Amino acid sequence: MYLVANVNVEICASKSCKLCTQYCPEANTIQYSEEMGKEQGFKYGSAYIAVDRCKGCALCVWVCDSLAKNNAIKMTMIDQLPKAALTDNITYGDKSTTAVLASPMVG
Amino acid sequence: MSLDYVKFSNGFEKFMPKEYRDMVEHGPFGKKVTVSQMGSFKEALEEHPMCAGCAMTLFIRLAIIAFPNPEDTITVGTAGCGRLAISQAAIPFVYGNYGDQNGVASGLSRGLRLRFGDKPKDVVVMAGDGGTADIGFQQVLHSWFRKERFTTIMLDNEVYGNTGGQESGMTNRGAVLKMAPLGKKFEKMDMLQMAKVAGCAYVATVVPNNPRRVESVIKKAVLIAREVGSTYIQAYTSCNIEYAIPTDKVMEDAKTVENDRYQFTEYVSEEAKQYLAERYGYKEFLPKPAAAIPNKA
Repeated sequence: MYLVANVNVEICASKSCKLCTQYCPEANTIQYSEEMGKEQGFKYGSAYIAVDRCKGCALCVWVCDSLAKNNAIKMTMIDQLPKAALTDNITYGDKSTTAVLASPMVG
Repeated sequence: MSLDYVKFSNGFEKFMPKEYRDMVEHGPFGKKVTVSQMGSFKEALEEHPMCAGCAMTLFIRLAIIAFPNPEDTITVGTAGCGRLAISQAAIPFVYGNYGDQNGVASGLSRGLRLRFGDKPKDVVVMAGDGGTADIGFQQVLHSWFRKERFTTIMLDNEVYGNTGGQESGMTNRGAVLKMAPLGKKFEKMDMLQMAKVAGCAYVATVVPNNPRRVESVIKKAVLIAREVGSTYIQAYTSCNIEYAIPTDKVMEDAKTVENDRYQFTEYVSEEAKQYLAERYGYKEFLPKPAAAIPNKA
């Protein structure tokens, strides 16, 4: 098993600073969805991780904790994630992406 | 080298992998994308074999997003880590032999001008500190003296990263590395000063812990290189393997180094300032209104 980043949607959707999307060394790994927080009544969307691309460096954790001071990203064992996004389940829109969250172990 | 290559061949659309379809339909080609939109469009850079947490990859990722016309850009690289990521982008990449990347780029840039005339075709060299300041030094400097119109970007990790950690000309004095156990005995080369002496129209240092600045610096350098002359960007892109930086502390290290020896500096020649202001509307380079100039008399 290995660690991947996991975004807490509740914190992220209430802040929505998008800083982590600009600091990840992997392309299209930290994605942003305008809809992800909205169904739970939050004002903004949320970042989420395409776990099949995450190499587990935890750079985003430092950015979220120290730069943004939001503490919304934690490293989690991939089999402990209830549901996560995989590249195949991500659809690009004009200004945002949508992801169907599924169990990463199944995907 | 045009939008024609970023589309499906007739009848093949359904056979293409998802990543390719996303690239054609939602890629950065033919529209303006910025760093603040990251995470919401398909990037030209794809998955790559660079180490986890590599600051060089982050810089390359930002640089590729910052190219003003990615569909009209060719990147040139040489041996070193950087090529592993640059070659994984949906942008043509030319792999020069070790050290001759600026010679290759000179020919390429001239050839493209002959073939396409005034239509801008950008050539961007991205090579490591070894490729630029040691092994390719002679060709780099000559291309600057000849005022070849392309951008040279040094990915300065201050070490030969993927050959086990030998010192390079850009390594700091005193740095102890796996293959330099006694510590480096000479000073870090001052490539910025050399670029200015050699007549580069734009010289800048940048650290990837400020993505928007990386974007603006690269945009300016590529635009100036279209018509004015050579441009040079020196970017600190730490090697977390050879310098044993924990991956989650890579940006903290970038910040420390930025404060220590990599403060943001930018030199823009007068001709380049005028070009940016007149052609691309850069307000900061517009001539000051007469009233704002203090009366020296």
